[in-house]
Amino acid sequence: MPSNPSMAAAIVGAAEANEIGYPETPRTMMQLHIEAIRNVCDQTGIKPSQIEAVFSTGTAPQIAEYLGIHPKYFDTTAVGGCSFEMHVHHALAAINAGIVDIALVTHGENGWSARATRGRGTGRGAGGGDPWTPDAQFTQPYGIGGAPSNYSHAMTRHMHQYGSTPADFAQIAITTRQWATLNPRAVMFSKETNPAGGPIGMDEYNSSRWISWPLHLLDCCLVTDHGGAVLVASAEIARSLKTKPVWIAGAGESTSHSSMLEMGDFTATSAKASGEAAYQMAGMGPSDMEMAMIYDSFTITAAITAEMLGLTPRGEGPSLWANGNAAPGGKFPVNTNGGGLSFNHSGMYGMQLLVESYRQLSGTAEDGVNGIAGKQTNAKSLIVNGTGGSLSNTGTLVLVAD
Amino acid sequence: MAEYNKPIPQPEPVNQPFWDGAKEGKLMLPRCTVCNRVHFYPRIMCPHCHSMSIEWFEASGEGYIHTYAVQHRAFGGWADEVPFVTAFIDLKEGDRMFTVLRGVDATKPEEIKIGTLVRVEFEPATDEVHIPFWRVVA
Repeated sequence: MPSNPSMAAAIVGAAEANEIGYPETPRTMMQLHIEAIRNVCDQTGIKPSQIEAVFSTGTAPQIAEYLGIHPKYFDTTAVGGCSFEMHVHHALAAINAGIVDIALVTHGENGWSARATRGRGTGRGAGGGDPWTPDAQFTQPYGIGGAPSNYSHAMTRHMHQYGSTPADFAQIAITTRQWATLNPRAVMFSKETNPAGGPIGMDEYNSSRWISWPLHLLDCCLVTDHGGAVLVASAEIARSLKTKPVWIAGAGESTSHSSMLEMGDFTATSAKASGEAAYQMAGMGPSDMEMAMIYDSFTITAAITAEMLGLTPRGEGPSLWANGNAAPGGKFPVNTNGGGLSFNHSGMYGMQLLVESYRQLSGTAEDGVNGIAGKQTNAKSLIVNGTGGSLSNTGTLVLVAD
Repeated sequence: MAEYNKPIPQPEPVNQPFWDGAKEGKLMLPRCTVCNRVHFYPRIMCPHCHSMSIEWFEASGEGYIHTYAVQHRAFGGWADEVPFVTAFIDLKEGDRMFTVLRGVDATKPEEIKIGTLVRVEFEPATDEVHIPFWRVVA
């Protein structure tokens, strides 16, 4: 029998690019990658030449070339924002199998710079535009313009099926903004960092414009630049470094559909399957989690995911954020970086989740520019989930502190 | 007829019967001859039982609103139409299609009801491609 890879590897460091969010001058994707890689190497003491495996969305060979290294294992899984959680899953498996000891997972995405210099809709490098895909023939002819125009249909169905209300979803946006005010690198940290920044309440939520009813602007994530990198290492190496390891107790991934035409239940995602796989590997369950990092491309994404991960009953996802439960100082902190809604969302937000997860469990969430007093939680375990595509693909990790 | 200024689907070999039917005002759907279940989008393999025996039949052209949204931001030719309502339609024969929903008021989304009966109609975008749209049955 193969061995359970739980705890066979740890995330040993996590870093961001030097300028993220809305940089003053445009950034290339490679700049964002390489700055983050340089920073995580400095943080851990691991040299780029020691990296044996490179994981990134589509671009792993280009990263290796740029670094001048010749990895013996690489993975270009590019299935949306959850790709990076999957990369960690794959790195864990490769390390557990003894193929590599040190793996790099890296992200560089200039959603803001691309839009600022080349116009909307150019943030993603891929695309292709095959006219014969199901979506090209049967959804895109109907005025669909990006994720919000799809995800709104899930929110309508959730409200119909479970009686959830805009006020319920507003609590997710308001709470997440509270966390952003503790993260100086968050786009919406304060009125100084952005005219729309700083704390928000129901008035701001209700008066924000419609993007795709029932999604208000404040239900939707930002479009920013971000570079991030984490290093995953075998247990032996993890214990030898100057940084604290954050152990990978469980990992799972799944998909339920690609085109939203095939989303059988608009109020459910494959996070149920990927979450259960991660919990099972870890030998833990939802009640063992002390905080969560949940993909919040939209408030509805976060709400459904909370349900799928077993953190609330079905239909009651928004209740996780009610009554300050998930807010700074609350019983169950969620999205302590300020989320995709108010910190940073470059298009694929999974790396931002990993970086903050590492910081929280390594006790570095308030170091330097990472956060100000009140951001660091006492959590020793967390569940982190990425969602990609059209509520399609998910990657989930259970992480525990050393 | 004014030139159709929105994205026009390009028929492909597998679903040509769908577009041939659309030209004649018929909603043609694929059905598995082994398990008798309907699927959409069209495939060469049944997604339910994995048989390769698929036939086309003329469907009722009726369905129900499964869920919907109001688009306030769109691109290309659709940008001139905002706000407009999009919806996933539960086909009477099974499975779903997506549409811009007609016969509804996009400024009053609360008045649109999930489960409402809708009927298909076809708009000629070119001589060869007639695009299906669904309309609330009055």
